[in-house]
Amino acid sequence: MDTINYLLQGFEVALTPQNLLLALIGSFLGTLIGALPGLGPANGVAILIPLAFTLGLPPESALIMLTAVYAGAMYGGRISSILLNIPGDEPAMMTCLDGYPMAKQGKAAEALTISAVASFIGSVVATIGLILLAPLLANFALSFGSAEYFALFVLAFATLGGITGKNPIKTLVAAAIGLMMSTIGIDISTGQPRYTFGMLELFEGIDFIIAIVGLFAISELMFFIERDMGDGDSMVKMNKLKINVKELIAVLPTSLRGGVVGFISGVLPGAGASLGSFLSYTVEKRILGRKNDFGNGDPKGVAAPEAGNNGAASGALVPMLTLGIPGSGTTAVLLAMLVSLNITPGPMMFQQHADIVWGVIAALLLGNVLLLLLNIPMVGIFVKLLSVPPKYLMPIVTLVAIVGIYSISHSAFDLYFMVAFGVLGYVFRKIDIPLVPIILGLLLGPEMEKNLRHAMMLSDGDWTVLWSSGLSIGIWAIAIAGLVLPYLLGPLLRRKMHKPS
Amino acid sequence: MHINDRLFGVVFLLLAVAYGWQAQQFPEPLGGSESIGPSTFPTLLAVVLGLGSLYMMVRPDPDSGWPVGKTLFELINVVAILVVYILLLELVGFIIMTTLAVGELSWRMNAPPLKAFLTGLISAIVAFVLFNYGLELTLPNGLLELG
Repeated sequence: MDTINYLLQGFEVALTPQNLLLALIGSFLGTLIGALPGLGPANGVAILIPLAFTLGLPPESALIMLTAVYAGAMYGGRISSILLNIPGDEPAMMTCLDGYPMAKQGKAAEALTISAVASFIGSVVATIGLILLAPLLANFALSFGSAEYFALFVLAFATLGGITGKNPIKTLVAAAIGLMMSTIGIDISTGQPRYTFGMLELFEGIDFIIAIVGLFAISELMFFIERDMGDGDSMVKMNKLKINVKELIAVLPTSLRGGVVGFISGVLPGAGASLGSFLSYTVEKRILGRKNDFGNGDPKGVAAPEAGNNGAASGALVPMLTLGIPGSGTTAVLLAMLVSLNITPGPMMFQQHADIVWGVIAALLLGNVLLLLLNIPMVGIFVKLLSVPPKYLMPIVTLVAIVGIYSISHSAFDLYFMVAFGVLGYVFRKIDIPLVPIILGLLLGPEMEKNLRHAMMLSDGDWTVLWSSGLSIGIWAIAIAGLVLPYLLGPLLRRKMHKPS
Repeated sequence: MHINDRLFGVVFLLLAVAYGWQAQQFPEPLGGSESIGPSTFPTLLAVVLGLGSLYMMVRPDPDSGWPVGKTLFELINVVAILVVYILLLELVGFIIMTTLAVGELSWRMNAPPLKAFLTGLISAIVAFVLFNYGLELTLPNGLLELG
């Protein structure tokens, strides 16, 4: 019953005119970000963070807007999958399989409609899952001590590459580099300056928003230039939509199942939205078998991965909100936003900032309704915007990001630092060092060190305290599995995911 | 070829050693050696990075090629544009610099020059109006200072 009360309170927060407007803007921008190939959801949210700050929004409004962006990006990814045969973001990869064939058969509008409905259902199913599971998990997490938290941080890094990740060691290297960056500045508990080289600008540490925009946005611009992708790709023509209610009802069971599968893979560490859409597609193919025409433009093959990746997106919010451990790049960026608003994520957030948590959850439900409206009658707008070639769009987006940072800090040092991060991000991507663990390291570093110190202080310097409780041993075991499994299962799963495409 | 990972393995190993060595220079906390001080966590990180970099040297991934010639020049050009933009932003002002930067970048990405700089000008004016009047954040006027 409590949950319903909280949720109603959440709606009160989300339904104020200002927040509603922000949710609408966020949904619109999110869909656009998701639709543009190359501008992934993590990127998009990162670029919009300075905007949220410059607007001077209160925490719940800022978070509502960015949550809407996050949900919107998951919707947007399908548009370019279907029309261009290029996934707008990684999780939308599976949508190409049946979406593009459908579009080529002159049923682009139908494919877009079905996938929007499937996205909506998947997302709502998973949000209900989030509402039921999150308070339970938050309650459970209250019993975690410092040792368990330290282990949990290790788990977050170990599983970040995902089961399908190529080289878990490189994830670890990236995490170590990010954590090292987080130690730059004045040590909170002793006042000792570390790795500042006497530079005043470094005493407060590295601002992760600068790091995020540099690593993601600027390195992306460099990649676009290198690959000479400025012209964009040719698009399948849109047709007039004839809504076929029968066809929509036919994909309902698929969407519901996809939402559940997606939610589970979103909650689990190391799975994420890409695996969510892959699993959902595979499960449907298995269940429906030969009766259907998967791979040749089957509407169910469009619905399944979309329900799956939207479900996973909502599912990924569970560990982020309850434990303060993000499971994906985008949730990491959302977490960055929370931290910079002076809110410590984790189980305590459900007690201290219940209005924010439930406001966000309510905004997620509301955002999905808005997104459904934006994505069916108004999908034409996004299709138009998608035909603007990246050579005009990318420079504008990058410059807006830079100006966003400038308007917060007014410091040239920060801006140069951001460009340096951009070059670093480019080099790291070239050698396959993932960028998300760096951000996550920078973000979680201080908390991780604090928990380590706390645990060690209580145990008088005895390291075994870190794996002394049953719970912490369990967490360590999952973390180790997260590093070992990719070597065993990774090649197999990767082959399966790439074979169809 | 597997040069990239080997090379960066060496770079990361050097970084780990330098970082770890620096950590040992931090003064011991007052509480004595039983509580952990400012150097423990960094030392741990140095070990993790060190091991990771060794792995990269021993089991390197295949290389992806580095840009050469014209592409490399274009990339350096992008960074140069951004640096010059930051350098002159306050002096010359937002509208002029943004027009030039967006225009130059679009042009380098194969847009026709006139269209590129026009895009730059329009986006600069829209962003300026939005930031200055919509969000009430002052962007530098620079040379276009009126009154």
